[in-house]
Amino acid sequence: MKKAWMMGMAAVLVLAMLAGCGGGGSGASGGKTADGKTVLTLWGDWGGDGQAQIQTMLDAFNKSQDKIQVKYAVQQDVITKFLTSATNGQTPDIVFWDRWRTALYAPKNVLHSVDEYIERDGLNREDFYSEALKELTYQDKLYGLPLTVDTRALFYNKKMLAEAGMEPPKTWDDLETAAKAMTKWNGNKLTTAGMSLGDPGLFSMYIQQAGGSMLTEDNKVNVNTDAGKEVLNFWGRLMNEDKVYKVGFEEGLGEGADAFVTGKVAMLYTGPWMLSTYDKYGKDLEYGIVPPVTGPNGDKGGNMGGFGLVIPQGSKHPDEAWEFIKWWTANKDNALLWAKTSQNIPGFRPAVEDPYFSEDERWKPFLEALEFAKVRPTHPGYSVMEENALIPNLELFLQNKQSVDDTLQKAQTEGDKQLAENATVQ
Amino acid sequence: MISAGNLEKRRSAAAARLGKHQARMGYLFVLPTMLLFLIFMVIPVGMALYLSFTNYDVLSKNDWVGLENYTRLLNDNLYWKTFVNVGFYAVVFVPFNLIISLLLAVLLNRAARGVKILRTFYYLPTLTSAVAAATVWLWMLHPEYGLVNGILSMFGIVGPAWTSQTETAMVSIILMTLWQSVGSNMIIYLAGLQGIPDYLYESARLDGASKFDCLRYITWPQLRPTTFLVSTMAIIGALQLFDQAFVLTQGGPANATKTPVYLIYQQGFNQLQMGYASAQAFVLAIAILIFSLISMRINKSEEPIL
Repeated sequence: MKKAWMMGMAAVLVLAMLAGCGGGGSGASGGKTADGKTVLTLWGDWGGDGQAQIQTMLDAFNKSQDKIQVKYAVQQDVITKFLTSATNGQTPDIVFWDRWRTALYAPKNVLHSVDEYIERDGLNREDFYSEALKELTYQDKLYGLPLTVDTRALFYNKKMLAEAGMEPPKTWDDLETAAKAMTKWNGNKLTTAGMSLGDPGLFSMYIQQAGGSMLTEDNKVNVNTDAGKEVLNFWGRLMNEDKVYKVGFEEGLGEGADAFVTGKVAMLYTGPWMLSTYDKYGKDLEYGIVPPVTGPNGDKGGNMGGFGLVIPQGSKHPDEAWEFIKWWTANKDNALLWAKTSQNIPGFRPAVEDPYFSEDERWKPFLEALEFAKVRPTHPGYSVMEENALIPNLELFLQNKQSVDDTLQKAQTEGDKQLAENATVQ
Repeated sequence: MISAGNLEKRRSAAAARLGKHQARMGYLFVLPTMLLFLIFMVIPVGMALYLSFTNYDVLSKNDWVGLENYTRLLNDNLYWKTFVNVGFYAVVFVPFNLIISLLLAVLLNRAARGVKILRTFYYLPTLTSAVAAATVWLWMLHPEYGLVNGILSMFGIVGPAWTSQTETAMVSIILMTLWQSVGSNMIIYLAGLQGIPDYLYESARLDGASKFDCLRYITWPQLRPTTFLVSTMAIIGALQLFDQAFVLTQGGPANATKTPVYLIYQQGFNQLQMGYASAQAFVLAIAILIFSLISMRINKSEEPIL
């Protein structure tokens, strides 16, 4: 009958739509291959070149033994995908993890602690960058191993520095003189900025160089201090007296027209992730790299970031997942293979001691910086605090719309509010 | 023999049967849509309202906290600042959007040669993805090398750092979104213009009305339903501003272009405070409702359609 047919169609339609929301098994945990290998899924957000680099490692691992097979699934928004997967138990076995998120996710009990495995297999914690381990730790429990470590160093344009007749800077004073000497104005048009001040987020690095810290021991904002004032006075001098930079100067130039590549910026702090861009687009660009300069009292400061590998609580094969993580992050040869493939510094120190790194002029300044670089404070509200309270106030300061004292005081009170509101309450 | 009355009765009975049948089929046909609407709109909205009274974090907690989220919201200066931001955006964007798209439509509502090509050109920006468009705009608005400041400097004006200065960041976003949205509103207005009967203009012309009079006393009132649609959509779009602001300025400088949706996303997905984010979203929804009602009022107070 016609009516029954229509009813049927409608029902099928509705069911189909409903089915569309469920399921979604884009390679969640579980399953075995025909020849009895355990299949593991790795989620990450590296696509393109990064995907090929990760695949190189998976192929090597899959070939190295005959019990486990790992697949990589690119997720555009890996953290949101992980969030939804954790609620319906469809988690992958390993996640390519932006380490700073640990402070927010570990308290929610969705990550598998790896302490037992480390004890069992006798891994030496000293072999990893301790700051990176700290970032993966919550309440004395470790939730993964560091895969990469990165930090910023000072890149300078060799030709311009030579023209100015100067040596690569080592201190704030050097930096100021060099920046001033390399800056060029054409009337009221800035043609070459001596030093990039485009990223106010680097405040956290400068304040360490001035002998301060972002948070106190008991997790309160600590920027309204002498160290904070030193930084802002220094920035104010660079902006208003030396005039080495102009707000918005680097905005919107794009990769191929990058300000450093095209010689519009003579010096900037950036990380190893820019090396390939500079080599690719900067055929005439000769650059040198030095560790971050020291502050007025000789203090050093830098920020460490990077990725780790973690096992979600929902994984059905945590033991196998651990085997894979150990193979990749805690084995000198494999960590080196990864480093060479992806141009990243591995979190495993024995691999970093290899001549590939220790004898390469391009890597040395980063390795030096990594010795004193600190991870961002492990407070779940830290990044929101920076984004919503600190950086907006710094921007007002850089545009001469707010005094040093007001800036720091507001950053501190508004920052403390953000921290308090975003602290995890168990 | 069948009496006339009987026939009537029979007919009406048949009609009732038919009507019943049609009604059943009608409901059947709208059923899939209604079910989807229920599943994807009504239930989630109800759940969001419930969640706004909890400390839901997706992963581990879902406890009733009463009005806690709403009291926190009252003291959330940043959230109210984002309302001021989109308020400013709406006040500038909505009228300009209406005027420009109406003028474009009036201009292109004639059978001249090349009009179709021009219509296509004006519509093209709508088809561009926000990210791609923002990249080009960023480049055009560059303080030293951008096209805009290049033109300004010809007149001896030193242009601002458009996207990086607190005074001009929102203006940059308004410029870009106007460029992107007037095309589609022009199409809606064109459709409206073509629905205005010619005899109105003809008789007005006979009575000696000027072109401007025609625009003011015929076109504008006749287009009232269209204007209502366009302005309401523009207001809703303005209050929900997110992607253009995110790509062009990342909410900066100094929070000048942060929007409520941006904060809701940040609280919900980055900080896992879904309960609080739901409360923020609810306040936003109510604000949209209020502004839509105001817009409806303003439209009603205009003179009635002929």
